[in-house]
Amino acid sequence: MERTRWIFIGILVVVLLIIGVSVVARIVTGGNSPDETELVLVAPETITVRVLTALPVEPWVRDAATAYNATNPTLNGVPVKVEITPMDGLTALGRWDRNDFGALEAGKTMESLTEAEKAALKNFPTAWIPDSRYLVELANASYKERLGRDVFLTDGEYRARPIAISLFTWGIYESRATVLEQRFGGVSWNIIHDAAVAKGGWPELGGDPSWGFFKLVVPNPNKNAGGLTAMVAAAGEYYKRTDISVADFTDPQFQTWLRELMGSVTDFSSASAYTAEDFALFGYSVGDGGQLLESDLLQNMQGILTRWDDPLKIYYPQYVTWFEFPFTIWVGPETSALEKNAALEFQRFLLSEEQQKAALAYGLRPTNPNVPLDATPESLFVKWKDRGVEMVVPRSDAMRNPDREVLLALLRWFQLNVAK
Amino acid sequence: MSNQFNDKQRTTLIIGAIGIVVVCMCVILTAWAGQSVWNSLRERRGVTTSQGGWDSTTAEVTVAVSPGMASTLAKLAEQFNAQARKTPDGSPMLVRTLSVVPEKMVEQSLANPPFQAIAPDSSLWLNQLDQRWVTQYSAGEGESLIPIGNRRFGDPVRYAASPVVIAAWESVARGLGWPGRDIGWKDIQQKATADPTFKWNHPSTGHASGLLATLAEFYAGAGLTRGLTEEAATAQTTLDYVRAVEATVRFYGEGEDVIVQRLAAEGRNFLDAFVAQEQVVIAWNQTQPGERLVAIYPAEGTLWADHPLALLELGMPGETPITDNQRRTYQAFVDYLISAEVQQQLLSVGYRPVDLDVRLDRTGSPFSGDAVDRRQPQTTLQIPAANVVEVVQNVWWYTKRPTNIYLVVDTSGSMEENDKIGLTRVALRSFVDQIRGDRDQVGLITFATNVYVERPLQPLDEAGRTALYTAIERLSASGNTALIDGVWEAYSRLLVEGNAEAINAIVVMTDGQENSSRQSLSALQRRIQQEQGKQIVIFTIAFGKDADEKFMRSMAEMGGGQYRRATETDIEDLYKIISTYF
Repeated sequence: MERTRWIFIGILVVVLLIIGVSVVARIVTGGNSPDETELVLVAPETITVRVLTALPVEPWVRDAATAYNATNPTLNGVPVKVEITPMDGLTALGRWDRNDFGALEAGKTMESLTEAEKAALKNFPTAWIPDSRYLVELANASYKERLGRDVFLTDGEYRARPIAISLFTWGIYESRATVLEQRFGGVSWNIIHDAAVAKGGWPELGGDPSWGFFKLVVPNPNKNAGGLTAMVAAAGEYYKRTDISVADFTDPQFQTWLRELMGSVTDFSSASAYTAEDFALFGYSVGDGGQLLESDLLQNMQGILTRWDDPLKIYYPQYVTWFEFPFTIWVGPETSALEKNAALEFQRFLLSEEQQKAALAYGLRPTNPNVPLDATPESLFVKWKDRGVEMVVPRSDAMRNPDREVLLALLRWFQLNVAK
Repeated sequence: MSNQFNDKQRTTLIIGAIGIVVVCMCVILTAWAGQSVWNSLRERRGVTTSQGGWDSTTAEVTVAVSPGMASTLAKLAEQFNAQARKTPDGSPMLVRTLSVVPEKMVEQSLANPPFQAIAPDSSLWLNQLDQRWVTQYSAGEGESLIPIGNRRFGDPVRYAASPVVIAAWESVARGLGWPGRDIGWKDIQQKATADPTFKWNHPSTGHASGLLATLAEFYAGAGLTRGLTEEAATAQTTLDYVRAVEATVRFYGEGEDVIVQRLAAEGRNFLDAFVAQEQVVIAWNQTQPGERLVAIYPAEGTLWADHPLALLELGMPGETPITDNQRRTYQAFVDYLISAEVQQQLLSVGYRPVDLDVRLDRTGSPFSGDAVDRRQPQTTLQIPAANVVEVVQNVWWYTKRPTNIYLVVDTSGSMEENDKIGLTRVALRSFVDQIRGDRDQVGLITFATNVYVERPLQPLDEAGRTALYTAIERLSASGNTALIDGVWEAYSRLLVEGNAEAINAIVVMTDGQENSSRQSLSALQRRIQQEQGKQIVIFTIAFGKDADEKFMRSMAEMGGGQYRRATETDIEDLYKIISTYF
């Protein structure tokens, strides 16, 4: 009996000492051991879905987010809020690639982070809507090298889903388009090249001397995914095929042709990534025309008319490039399961018939096949049909997306030959 | 016995057990308390090290803005602040503005700037910042898959636009063929070369309008309208042409805002034409009586002052990062600037709104007359790559109109107070640093009870510069104030040493009152009138509260220059500003 008591007391002392020592040890080691919150699931006050959004769809997605937030959405009883961050797809790719958002390095877990490191992740994007699927593939390739796995899924529940589509079309100021048509009978990259190299400028082409030289509008490839697309499309027409390789871009004859074409761009220094808006704001003074995203051109058509009294005319090229704006959810541990599921809900909202109809007012083509382009009176496809916009894209060849090597070759060429 | 022992033992054991429990509880409580204190200390230390420049919750944003837009943006910031907006955590959103010349804005933005956002007059400056940033921090970029996106600033937004034009009096413009004929940079340059009475001006290349005018000269000199390269810009024939044109420029200066002030002060005959934003023409005609200005849109093409606004991505080692609240304030201010209400306000003062729904042709719009044309410009000059622009800026120093300047400096006893003499040494040195033309000459005259020619006029080659710096370093203060005699000496010397092709100028500074000269102000005035054809410009600086402002103002007026007041804190900046006139 006495021995039992001693043993009991001994155990009690040992237990208490273990607790005491473990608490002291935890403090001494800086409190980096797993947090209590990891053991007990505590529902957050709000779930915030942060969506990095490509510029062409940003106005629509932002308005959709406002409408969505106004419905006071919840997930598992927790209020959800969607926040939109506009960012050009290529710029975002650069930031993913440099890991500017602070994704955990291989082997690190959320549990091993300090409070400050956890706080730094509070603005980590939940989802990304780039301009094109190829940007997602490039981001995945970058993370695969670093982490050994994809961070954006291409199949399964969280797979990337296109939310709207648009294609690159020619937009030319009507006064200038009329002269080009009279002189060349249409608009294409080869015709634009001929106009660009005309030594006498517009007077030589039959235009007004005050127009100066022919001025092409191409987005700066360092600031806008559309700039790269334009160069790939030009290459497609030059070679008359849809698949462009690095060898094609390094061909000296092609490089001369491309340099002459890019030599007619007035200003690559423009700070803005919103090329179509610039095109509208500065009018024909900075560009007579260019190949830009159809939705951007349609969104700015009214502004161009109001400001310059000279509308744009739309032409569809033979070699077309499509942007499908995939809604892509980050699958890494930096965002919680609740955030991922909330992002999925917002993705469904964007694909709803109502929001797909709303996209028509932004000149975007719905991905939901149940929504025709003339589904609403606000559709820009209805409003601007007299300006050359086509509901059904004329027969054309779709350009294949550039791979990583082509992308790098293009950027390098631009940096060495045009930007400098 | 055994039971007794057991009871005693039991009591001891219970007390012992309780004691152990209490000790353990104390250890736990002490540990928790210690952890709280440690965390709190760590948090505080984090705030002071990572957020050294401002508090981690501040929602105050300072925007550096180019001088031409400074007053407009300051007014809009005031309106924004009056709305008393708050961030979600209750911090007040405040926007302050700081007038900074764009070239300096780029320089300061590279490291620890005293502002968080920038609003230069043109995207050209953002491009230069981009270029310099990438050059400075390109290490590691090569390893990146996508070598883009690493920028010093976030996506910029534009809030107003205005094309750069040649602003001319209507009579002058009609003489050139306006409005029936397209007029170009070449016409202005030819007119200025052929007619010595034709007075025109463009700001220095530190401003968008000055840079454009200079680029246009280089294009014309190279016989191009696009594709300007470093080789073409530095070809001897180009340099000769630009030098001939620059010889016709009356003076350079801070920017169009100062030109407008001088036009208002000195009247119609001050200049025939000058390079400025279209908005300046509108604003002048709205407020000034008499002959109106008209905008000539250069036929070869022009450039847009596109007024971008961008948030700097601060956070390099040793730099205070932008706070979340500052980002919120910046975004709220951007939204405010592009709101319909503010866009209308910007239109009313002559800017073209970026909101394309705002019509330029509505009744009452400042674009409704014929002094400006909303359908212009028809074409723009091609903006060369940033490295070519930089070459043009540097080469311009070798083509610009040469300058002969006498720095006339007060070294009387009062300059010892508050170390004014020390501050003057620094300011003079900064002034000389800014004068970079290979044909520019600078001399130094001091005055106290007597006048001393410290350095005669001499070119600023290496030897000349060193000699001037040495003379500046040797300046000391004592005696009275023979201000007029100092200016008289400089004037006499410039009459002999100066030449008609150069800008001949005196920059005189005093902190007190004239009390020791043999000459009088009226005698100086008579002399200036007698030598009117020589065009020697006098800039005057009243340093500190005791300087005779009225006297200095009169002297500047009779010398056709400018009067400025300086304090101990801005004397260096003031000398730098005045250097832009040369």
